[in-house]
Amino acid sequence: MFERHNDFLRDGGTGMRNFVARKLSNGAALQDSDHARLDELMRHWKAIPAKSDIISQGDDPEYVHAILDGISCRYKILPDGRRSIMDLLIPGDFCDMNIAILGRMDHSIGTLTPCRVAYISRSEIEELLFDFPRIARAMWWATLVDEAILREWLVNMGQRRSDRQMAHLLCELYLRYAAIGWPDEFALALTQEQLADTLGITVVHAQRVIAALRQDGLIALRDRQITIPDIARLMEFSEFNPDYLHLPPES
Amino acid sequence: MPRFFFDIDDGLRFTFDDDGQALPDRAAARNMAISVLPPLARDVLPDGDRHAVSVVIRNEEGEAIFRAVLELVAEWLD
Repeated sequence: MFERHNDFLRDGGTGMRNFVARKLSNGAALQDSDHARLDELMRHWKAIPAKSDIISQGDDPEYVHAILDGISCRYKILPDGRRSIMDLLIPGDFCDMNIAILGRMDHSIGTLTPCRVAYISRSEIEELLFDFPRIARAMWWATLVDEAILREWLVNMGQRRSDRQMAHLLCELYLRYAAIGWPDEFALALTQEQLADTLGITVVHAQRVIAALRQDGLIALRDRQITIPDIARLMEFSEFNPDYLHLPPES
Repeated sequence: MPRFFFDIDDGLRFTFDDDGQALPDRAAARNMAISVLPPLARDVLPDGDRHAVSVVIRNEEGEAIFRAVLELVAEWLD
């Protein structure tokens, strides 16, 4: 069922590429034994094509999923067929930690771009919680940060102008990638439709906002991916305060 | 599905749509154009006393086929 690869986790022997461990390191001082266990757990993974469900609303999944590569989202489909994206999941993010405790999914999780997804059984999650206190603390930290991000999104979607909303979202993603030590320059591969569903605006509106930000030099497009020429300028424009991401000061 | 292009003018900035949207028919394009105006207005209207946002739909041949305008008029009466 799963592919087994160590190459994906090790970057040519030069260092760790386990982004789950990188992310959790922001929430607790992990030790070698913690890293070793997390490396083992990330070895069971599957490649999932873009625009496919990882788990669907109503499922009672036996695995907790973590994103190793690509971008996924939490979403719900409204009765009129529109999709609302409530969270973007990037490498290092657990999709559904709650499932280990809550059971049935109250929303769906689907890929937006091609993803590599680690499958961790519920019993392995329980083992992390009881036998690896530093990892348990970091997972708690990650859950609390997820809540803080959700609060910030509520403010962002409700109160900011659309161009600032878009800019704010891009600043957040930039910092979240930086916090996992993403090796490449930030380049967001989401489509205008996916960004529109995330911000709760029409795709025509999203297109217009992207064009305006681009005209003002706040973002750039490269191979249809959004890049950020000057993050400080974009943060100033979107009135971005990174406190809610609760990252250690050095990152 | 045919492609429709949505050019938007909010009085401050004109954005020309290079990409377009694939939509089932003209009626769907009209609905899309109208639904984009209120949220767009929310972004730009607070700035002045008189403000209009408009969208023009072009078809694949580049012909303008539809226009919608949302205008705010705000004035003191005393």
